[in-house]
Amino acid sequence: MQLDPITLEILNNQVVSVVEEMCMTLQRVGRSLYVKETADFACALAGVDGKFFAYPGSIGVSGFVGLDCMPAIREAGTLAEGDVLITNDPYHSQGLATHLPDLHVIAPVFHDGRIIAYLWAFVHCSDIGGRVPSSVSTTNTEIYQEGLQIPPLRLVKKGRIDNEIERLIRVNSRTPDNNMGDIQAMLAAIGLGQRRVATLVQRHGIATFLAAQKDLCAYTARRARAAIEKIPDGSWAFSDYLDSDMVSGLPVRFAVKVVVDRGRITLDFTGTDPQVHAAMNIPSAGKVHPWLTLRIMALVVTLDPGIPLNAGLQFPIEMIAPRGSVVHPVRPAAVGVRHAACVRVNDVLNGALGIALPEVMTAANSGVIIPVVAAEPAGDGERNVQVVEPMTGGTGARHGMDGTDGRDPSISNLANNPVEMVESELGVRILHYGLRAGSGGAGQWRGGMGLELVFRIGVDDTLILARGLERMRFRPWGVQKGSPGVLTTLSITYADGKVEKLDGLDIIALGQGDTVSLCTAGGGGFGDPLEREPALVLSDVRRGLVSVEQARQEYGVVITDRQVDAQATAVCRGRPLAREHDLGRLQWETVFSPAVMEVFGRFLDTLPASRRHGEKVRLIAQVMALLPANFPVVRVEPDVLAQAHDAFATAVAALPAGAGHAC
Amino acid sequence: MDSLKNRVGIDVGGTFTDFVMFMPGADRLVSHKHPSVPSDPSRAVIQGLAELLEMTDTTPKQIGAIVHGTTIGLNAILQRNGARVALLVSQGFRDVLEVGRGRMPSSLNFHAVKESPLVPRDCVIEINARLDPQGNVLAAPTGAELERVRSEIRALAPDAVAVMVLHGYANAAFEERLVTSLSMHLPGVSFCSASSIWPEIREYERTLVACMNASIQPLMQRYFDRLEAGIASLSIEAPLFISTSNGGLVNLRTARARPVETLLSGPAAGVTAASRIAVAAGADHVVTFDMGGTSSDVAVASGGQPEFTTRTDIGGLPLILPTVAVEAIGAGGGSVVHVDAHGIIKVGPKSAGAFPGPVAYGQGGKAPTVTDCYLVIGILDPLRFFNGKLALDVSLARAALLDIATALGLDGPQAAEKAAWGALRVATAGMGAALRKMLSTRGLDPVDFTLLPYGGAGPTHASFLADEMEMAHVLIPGEASTLCAFGAVLADLRRDFIRSLRCTLDARSMDELRQCITALEDAGRVWVAEEKRIVESVSFQREVEMRYGGEAYDLKITLPDVDVTELDEKFVAECFHRRHEALYGFRDADAPLRIMAVRIGVIGHVRPVPLPEGAGQADEPQLAGRRQVFLHDGWHDVPVYDKATLGPGFVIAGPAIIEQSSSTVPVLPGWRAEADRHGNLRLLRAGQSCS
Repeated sequence: MQLDPITLEILNNQVVSVVEEMCMTLQRVGRSLYVKETADFACALAGVDGKFFAYPGSIGVSGFVGLDCMPAIREAGTLAEGDVLITNDPYHSQGLATHLPDLHVIAPVFHDGRIIAYLWAFVHCSDIGGRVPSSVSTTNTEIYQEGLQIPPLRLVKKGRIDNEIERLIRVNSRTPDNNMGDIQAMLAAIGLGQRRVATLVQRHGIATFLAAQKDLCAYTARRARAAIEKIPDGSWAFSDYLDSDMVSGLPVRFAVKVVVDRGRITLDFTGTDPQVHAAMNIPSAGKVHPWLTLRIMALVVTLDPGIPLNAGLQFPIEMIAPRGSVVHPVRPAAVGVRHAACVRVNDVLNGALGIALPEVMTAANSGVIIPVVAAEPAGDGERNVQVVEPMTGGTGARHGMDGTDGRDPSISNLANNPVEMVESELGVRILHYGLRAGSGGAGQWRGGMGLELVFRIGVDDTLILARGLERMRFRPWGVQKGSPGVLTTLSITYADGKVEKLDGLDIIALGQGDTVSLCTAGGGGFGDPLEREPALVLSDVRRGLVSVEQARQEYGVVITDRQVDAQATAVCRGRPLAREHDLGRLQWETVFSPAVMEVFGRFLDTLPASRRHGEKVRLIAQVMALLPANFPVVRVEPDVLAQAHDAFATAVAALPAGAGHAC
Repeated sequence: MDSLKNRVGIDVGGTFTDFVMFMPGADRLVSHKHPSVPSDPSRAVIQGLAELLEMTDTTPKQIGAIVHGTTIGLNAILQRNGARVALLVSQGFRDVLEVGRGRMPSSLNFHAVKESPLVPRDCVIEINARLDPQGNVLAAPTGAELERVRSEIRALAPDAVAVMVLHGYANAAFEERLVTSLSMHLPGVSFCSASSIWPEIREYERTLVACMNASIQPLMQRYFDRLEAGIASLSIEAPLFISTSNGGLVNLRTARARPVETLLSGPAAGVTAASRIAVAAGADHVVTFDMGGTSSDVAVASGGQPEFTTRTDIGGLPLILPTVAVEAIGAGGGSVVHVDAHGIIKVGPKSAGAFPGPVAYGQGGKAPTVTDCYLVIGILDPLRFFNGKLALDVSLARAALLDIATALGLDGPQAAEKAAWGALRVATAGMGAALRKMLSTRGLDPVDFTLLPYGGAGPTHASFLADEMEMAHVLIPGEASTLCAFGAVLADLRRDFIRSLRCTLDARSMDELRQCITALEDAGRVWVAEEKRIVESVSFQREVEMRYGGEAYDLKITLPDVDVTELDEKFVAECFHRRHEALYGFRDADAPLRIMAVRIGVIGHVRPVPLPEGAGQADEPQLAGRRQVFLHDGWHDVPVYDKATLGPGFVIAGPAIIEQSSSTVPVLPGWRAEADRHGNLRLLRAGQSCS
């Protein structure tokens, strides 16, 4: 490092102050709800290499600290003083933007005629066109359906907005004024950033300012490496599934091998499913990308909470993300809900690291983010559209700590809506909003409870949307003998008393008096439930989170008259316990065994990326035809499973030659 | 007339309990300090009060009012050691506290844990009682239901029961009736209804207000009892008033019923005093800077009016009562200087506290603090610290900072001083970063503000921070170390009232708004009338919370205290558009305007305290001595002045040191200092200074 430790720490404070001030300005001047309420935006300072050396710690989206501006800067061509580039194009910016509603801007900072840094900002705008309002839908199959694509180009030239580009953006959006308001807010933030950086350069000198860019990242990288060095050297593999890609209805498999070697960590996603014909692909460009490394960054921050956030966090990471897979799709794969896939990427990283660091990592979080939306008729064909509640579940347990009940911040740490506000804005009546008792996986430390939301429709022809309904087939796993969390369930009780259980939902029209009941998954448990302190089980029973039956069946703790019966408990814990397990995953992997899937995957890799998903769906559908409709959730006889597996293995073996040597 | 009698303000701090007495007859202000007694703060209050009477030759009968701020309630909530509270809620919402607003303290740190709920789940009872948003009754409990609830309450045997009916804010009488019918058969159990304490929409936050109130009420009442008895033992018959988080004060009866209003009274009183001093000194826009032992707090005040917030964090729990907006920005005098595993210097967040305190205290502290840095570079005189009541050992501090220097790779004869100077710059950069962020959230530019420091270290650190912030003015009050007690003396009676409305602004809702304002102000007048003896006049602060239809964020606008008939729809709309434009840069003239809530602050003005006038023009100030001070990169021979000898008009150029009672003010190079006629010290910056 070039700078002395005092100057470095002073600059560390000052550059973060610049980007946080930019964020405050953006949020204050910004127009849309995404900016004002959910803080779906960020600002940062990138060095001459295009990587962030200063990133806000307490406001905005924290996960994007690992983005790289350089491909977009190169794509835009020469940037002059007063220019600002804009892009939302995941493919031409090589993963700077990761879905089209995210508008990114970059401005060069000049000093004595040369570029000394870049200012960056992004906002999630309200709508950028495409097939559906708000531009994001799981069922989009190509990026062309997702809205206007803006490759990196100069929106502002020599300090003036290009009116022609502005018009193009305006006519392609359902919310042109909001979008331009948010763009103006980003430009205001950049203007402030320009002034603040100029002051810093004046105070410290240009040499110190340039040295700080490198030194700050190097300092963070050192601390990140020190954190990663706490992971023993070795190699750990893990896999998990999304229930469905929402288009073919088939699960999407995520597989990772984490290799740790003296403070360096390689993430190998070989074995992850091909890109899907749905909007769940993560446009990482195959690089070390925030959406694929979020859990690693979270681990570093967890082990070293004070670490300055900048590109150095990712320096110890290397990436293998096969081209044409869900985690490295090629154009024109749709990407709108890439965060849904990121939830599962988080889970597999968490699982693999959990083998290496059992005392640090958690069991699976609920793994769901479900914004429940109601659209009530409001006359003249208009609809009053509001989020009822953004639903998550509980977090996974870890060594020494139960999971968190009813909260899961791992992807988006959003605030919920007060029930009184919801009922003032909508005709729905919320009957119950609280913890879902009994849903956390049992364990020495139990998983966090999921949430339960029950509401009655007040107006006929109300549309209910629930994107992101997940963990309805594959349970959030437990670790170290901990049980999995309970599956997400959704049911509707119609006004006439008829009850319907749904295994998924995109959009549904309901009438007055119909009642929707959504229960989200609990987190996985950690450690053997038989090892849980009876006093803790008793406390859960007293608090109504675990039933007396559950205490006996899952924990072997006998509770009578609100007290632990020590003798009966000793007897009960001496007998073998019927353990909870994930039937869905067990059955799925009996039929589609990882060994055969690997061969199948190698075959798919020989095909053009755009054809892989279709081939996969075709062959798996043949096998699914041998199984009941709601496989793998419903219990199937072992011989039926075995037959289906044989059929799958035979079909894979019959695939054209070349399957074995495709890598 | 009681308003002509002496008023005493008292603030209990960690180390000292401060007293300020205003004597209207003699037009005199007297301050006094007594060591605090953490186990029973009322003992220091009574002992100090006795000393104050004696040293000023005041008879008990001459005391007209005693105003007291306390942190007992705040500590009880932070440490969760308040009363045993049961919570009664509408059916379906047992988890109102568990679910909260659904957020975690960090999205990355997965070892971060959520706040522990103020009332555990097994002490929450559901009842079949519920309203709709208009206040219509959707479910009312039957006699059998009430009896079931009573027996559940009996089984829990709580000290107090908090009650929250969904949409209770829209029909407070419903919740009141529920409480009445429950308490009838539950003698000895006190009830606290959320909608009567604070009828604002948002069930989680409103429930918390009630739970906090219920949780601290018994211990606060016991404390008030001890205090009253102690004051009576001094034969003082004057009424006792309690400072509140909104910078005002309430009578004892209100404080007993609504102790939750006193939670943040200490910091609020300090800001109240600071903003009054600022206005008197002609500084309209100030950032107050209270640097204590563990942290530094800032607030913004304009035109003598501190800025309020309706969302304060109390150890992870949001408090929605109107509160003077005070934010922590980092290091205090006790913050620890250390070097991390990678060789980088850090200041805080750990603090040495009162014990062991800074290394120089010689109480066994090994880790150097910000205070040790001041000492080592010569800004503080070891013999004058706390008026010489605390002997400091500079050699211990220097040795500790030498260790820091070594870890940083500094050597040479001035290594310890360089490390100390560097640590002060790092602490300042951290404060500056936080303060800039706080100001830019409000769209404010620091250069438009005067920095007004107080607290033990505030005056010492002020010009460092002003340099960092490029602020050109610093105003240091004469009694900077007892400002919170002074704020208690100055404060007016104040209570806030709220009503949630939720209607679109039009002619009809305008009527509703006017009626609402009138009703709340009538209630305020009744309340303030209880204190006729010290209140000289009454005024109202009217705030309306509004938003554009279709948007989800609210803005507060202030309406003038004129006859309500003068307020019309167009005027209110224009107020909102203007405010929106000023803060966010645009207006949306076509959007419907929604009224969300009305807040009325009723203020009972007490006799104003005139600020002391200085002793006119003075001659050239006497040089109290000279000392060696290490600045930037070398030692300077610096003149030392005694503030008491400094008359208005005379200018001292930096570098210099000015000693005033219980604080030391360095005048850094590039700054100059002068006293004003109120006994304040002004620092002015000439030109730019390097970082």
